[in-house]
Parts: sequence; structure tokens; C-alpha cells
Amino acid sequence: MDPRITLLKKFYSTMQKDKIKLESNCYGFEFLNTLLSHDIKLEYGELTSSLIHKYKLVNIPEYRMDTLLQGHINKYYNVCLYFDEMANNIFCFNLDNNFKENNTALIPEMQYAVTKLTKHLTELGIEPLVIVSGRGYHVWCRLYEPIDNKQLHNFMLQMVAKTLEALHIKGYNYNRVKFNMYPNNEIINTVSLRFFGSEHVKNKIFSYVYVNSSVLGEEDSWKFFADYLKNKTISKEQFMQAADKLARYFK
Amino acid sequence: MERIYIKTIAVDLDDTLNNFTETLQNTTFIFDESYGLTKENFHKYIDKLQNNARDESELLSNEFSYFRYKIHEQCYKSAKAKPDGVEFMQWLKNNNWRVLICTYRDLRRASDCTKKWLKDNNIPYDYLFAVNNKIIFCKVWQVNTLIDNEFNILYGEEHGINVYYSIMDKHKEIQKTAAKGFHKFSEVKKWIQE
Repeated sequence: MDPRITLLKKFYSTMQKDKIKLESNCYGFEFLNTLLSHDIKLEYGELTSSLIHKYKLVNIPEYRMDTLLQGHINKYYNVCLYFDEMANNIFCFNLDNNFKENNTALIPEMQYAVTKLTKHLTELGIEPLVIVSGRGYHVWCRLYEPIDNKQLHNFMLQMVAKTLEALHIKGYNYNRVKFNMYPNNEIINTVSLRFFGSEHVKNKIFSYVYVNSSVLGEEDSWKFFADYLKNKTISKEQFMQAADKLARYFK
Repeated sequence: MERIYIKTIAVDLDDTLNNFTETLQNTTFIFDESYGLTKENFHKYIDKLQNNARDESELLSNEFSYFRYKIHEQCYKSAKAKPDGVEFMQWLKNNNWRVLICTYRDLRRASDCTKKWLKDNNIPYDYLFAVNNKIIFCKVWQVNTLIDNEFNILYGEEHGINVYYSIMDKHKEIQKTAAKGFHKFSEVKKWIQE
């Protein structure tokens, strides 16, 4: 097995394993029939305004998931996963450019937001893994053991509030950056997030790691990702201490 | 055993198989604090929605866009299925058509309620798709029959797609095209067999 599959499966170990969103340039009934072999079902398909096909697939057996992940690594398509409904050992801030037009442009508010968010997390002892996404950044944090989704979400809400405050103080319009926080129990089976290790279907940009205000190359991004998993994963106690400290900021 | 399809058809949902616009315009929506709006904004936005006004904001995600989805979702659930549309869909299935439901709805959020509505109304289909540009979709998926009511009426012909639409008041002003308007689905049934 490709060692990168093992790495991805370990990093995203608590996410749902039988359900994915697949983003692809491929379409047609022949392609769909290939996807739907082995009892896999299509919940719905989508053709986006940027002409990317997306397929929400459910009922995926584990052996098929390995094949799908290999396709992801080989850049045939992107695999996106859904968070566990109860508890997760990862959480993610998804920062998107919120403009209707030209929304892949890097706006100053976005740069400031990702820098502040990273700084705030690091100050609390949680060093995040920042990955370039289509319209902004995915800011991931990982723990050794799963934590209740509500607890994770409360922490993220406060962290986002602190970052929005920083944007406001700087004089930026914080509505220009859309912050989503995952896991979120209200939309747990609605929104999926793209795995690290592939490239955007439309713009062909790899999911590069962003660190110290610069973007690493593809090979270095994989190395950083492996190193992050090994050395930057935090304990539940570290998370709880960070959450307490953050809560005190708002008292 | 694998099913053998004779032809494929794409069918829209809102204002085609149901009375979405009528439901949106005739429902009295009650203010509720859970919308997270002031009473004034609630009524302003309802007015905007019922008059089909455009969202002028340059931002993708905003207070109005969030509220619009909440109201639309209520209408997706309460809209009435057109009986002849249901009969037509059942006829398609019984006659080995591959049926795609092709909608503008955001299925990330609306797939559950959409599937429930289709099931509750005994509307069979093979696949459910959210599509912004239905003509492009039909072209690349090689679906040459589309039942819809939006701007595809104007653009189907040049891309080789046969478009049929349920006639509404808003179509009075429309220029003459190869798309065919119908009052009853029985008319479409006849045309697609010609």
C-alpha cells in the first residue's frame, strides 16, 4: 500500500469511513457506474458553476476506500470526508474568500485572518496545520483522542470571535472572509472537507502546506504533514488547558 | 440484473413537478427569533423573496442568503406535487426511461428534504443532481430531453437539447424558440414518443 494512504488514514482516523464527496472532471453514466460498483450509492450529484462534477457517495466498503484514496493521491479526483457525528480528534477552521466574483483572489483580510488565527492558536499551545484551499485556507488541529463535537465547536467559536475582533480592530471588513468551523453538529452530514494531498480540480493547485508566511512545495508539504502528525498532535489535557485559557479571555 | 434504459430524461423540480412559486408567494411566514433577524429585516426580506428580487450583495454568504435558504426549504417541504407530473414520472419509470431529477436547489443542505418529498409523493427517479447550467449538464451527459422552466427555454435548441416547459404567467413575454410549452404532462408524453 502507498505509505501516503496510511498517513492520510491515520491523520483523518475519526472521520466517517463509509461516506465521501468526490470532486472530479469526469462525468457520464459509464463513469458513474464505475463509482457505484460494490453497492456504493449516489446520494446526489452536482455540476457546479465552475463545471466541477461532485458526487456524494455513501455505503462505501473499506477496501473501496483505499482505492479511492489512491486515486486522490494520484490526482485523478479529490476525496472529501465528513466528520464523525459524536466526537473527533481533529477540527478545522475553513477560511473562504466571501465574494461572489473573483473569489479565488488572495484578499488582504484573508492573509491577516489566517496569520492572526495561527498566532492565537499557537499562543494557546496548539500549533495548527495550515493548508491552501481553493478560496482560502483550511486550518487543522489534531488531538490524540476524540473530543465531543460540542466542546470542539465551542472552542472554535471563541477562537473565530477573537480573530474577527482582530480584523475589526485592524479596520478590515470581517464579512469579506467566511469562517466555517468543523465539526459542527448542525451540518455534520452536509459539509465535507477535502483531504490533504491532492490538487484542486479546477485550478490544479496542490493542497500545499502554508507555514511561516510561505507555501511549501509538494514534496515538502507531504514531509511537513507526516511530521505534523508525529510531533504536533496534542493531548486532551493540552486542549482543555487551551480552552480554559481562551474562555477566560471572554470573561 | 442490470436495467436496460431506452432513453434518458432530465426533469426539474420547482415549478415543474411542484408549485414552488405559488407556495412562496401565498404562504404567510411568521416571524420567529430563531431566524436571528430583527422583525423589520424579516419582513423586508420576505417581501424581497416573494417579489423575486435579486440579492444585490457582492458577498456570497450574508444575512439575506442564509434567510432565503431557510424560507425556500420550508417551501420545498410544503409545495404541492402536480398530479399529472407524478403520473408522468411513473410512466417514464414503467417505460424504462432513465430519469434524472435536475434542480437548482443546494442539495448539500436540501437533499434529505428533497428525497423525502419525492418519496412521499411517489415520484420515481434514478439520480438526483444539483446543476447550475442544465444545458451544459445535458450536453455532456448526453441527455437530449429536459423538462424545465428557466432560461434553458432560450438556449436548449443551439445545443441540441429538446426543452419542454410548464407554461406560467412569466412565459408570456418570452421570445419564440424551439422549446415547447405545455399545460399538462400528457402533452410531453406524446411529444417525447414522436
